[in-house]
Amino acid sequence: MSAPAHAPLDDLGLSSNCLEVLRHLWDYLDEELTPEGAERLRVHIESCPQCKAMEVYQACFLDTMRKLRAQFSAPNELRARLAEKLRSQGCGCWEKVSGERP
Amino acid sequence: MMTATHATPLLSGEYSASSGVAVDVSGTSTSSDTQRDIDFEREALPWLDDVYRFALSLTRDDADADDVVQETYLRAYRSWHTFVPGTECRRWLFTICRNVFLRSRERQRSTVDLDDGEQDAVAAGSVYAAARERGYDHLYATLDLAPALSEALNGLAEPFRSAVILVDVEDMTYETAAQVMGVPIGTVRSRLFRGRRLLQEKLLTVAEDLGFSTASAGER
Repeated sequence: MSAPAHAPLDDLGLSSNCLEVLRHLWDYLDEELTPEGAERLRVHIESCPQCKAMEVYQACFLDTMRKLRAQFSAPNELRARLAEKLRSQGCGCWEKVSGERP
Repeated sequence: MMTATHATPLLSGEYSASSGVAVDVSGTSTSSDTQRDIDFEREALPWLDDVYRFALSLTRDDADADDVVQETYLRAYRSWHTFVPGTECRRWLFTICRNVFLRSRERQRSTVDLDDGEQDAVAAGSVYAAARERGYDHLYATLDLAPALSEALNGLAEPFRSAVILVDVEDMTYETAAQVMGVPIGTVRSRLFRGRRLLQEKLLTVAEDLGFSTASAGER
């Protein structure tokens, strides 16, 4: 199935003031904006239902992405093989190849 | 490609330095080899799951990922003297991992000509509009899309996949991801936004296939 067609941005009902949010929402959610920039977007988002809905939608997407992190861990077979290789290299901590995160 | 002209007053001119792990290197009572093992154990081994996950995202194959992880850690151990204490060991390992992967595939670093990242950011708004039009406003809160997202991520082309994995899954800053990928921050941003847009488009299709639109349409 082909990708869904894009709806015209006009359908979002965004004013020109919302365009800044549109351009920088990802930066905002990723906490990559300057404090001043982030605050400016935050103030607008909190006062604009359209931008708030879009922010919630995209934030939920990012939450779903982060949950993928818990799904994968190094298999025991790999740990055993790596431990053996490290041991052969003279590594004294080869027995400590564990899944513990810092 | 992103250019400097896209840096707006909103974006930080200098991305904050990544928080490195503070390492106490004052202990000198052991031999250098033993100290190396202690440091390696403390700094490098805890990131095994993270490196594996990244390797899996690159190779999309369990066996290949195992090989890449093993080679990554062996190289890291042999090159431990080049690791700078106090810097992010995970970033260092990811960089090695990516290089191992690229060499294993005899692949040159991608030179895909990317469109303006800002266009992709705006396009994300269009994807949202399409979702809203279909009544998918609460798509992510309603459906467990993690399996579909995992599959979509697996099908995402490089270099977009790496950018999405590093920032969205591994929670790296744009700056750290850029260092791992060996590209400018703007390029990471561009690839990330494109990757997210492609994933979201894919998920809308999945939602339609699941009949999510039918249920929503009845409420509208």
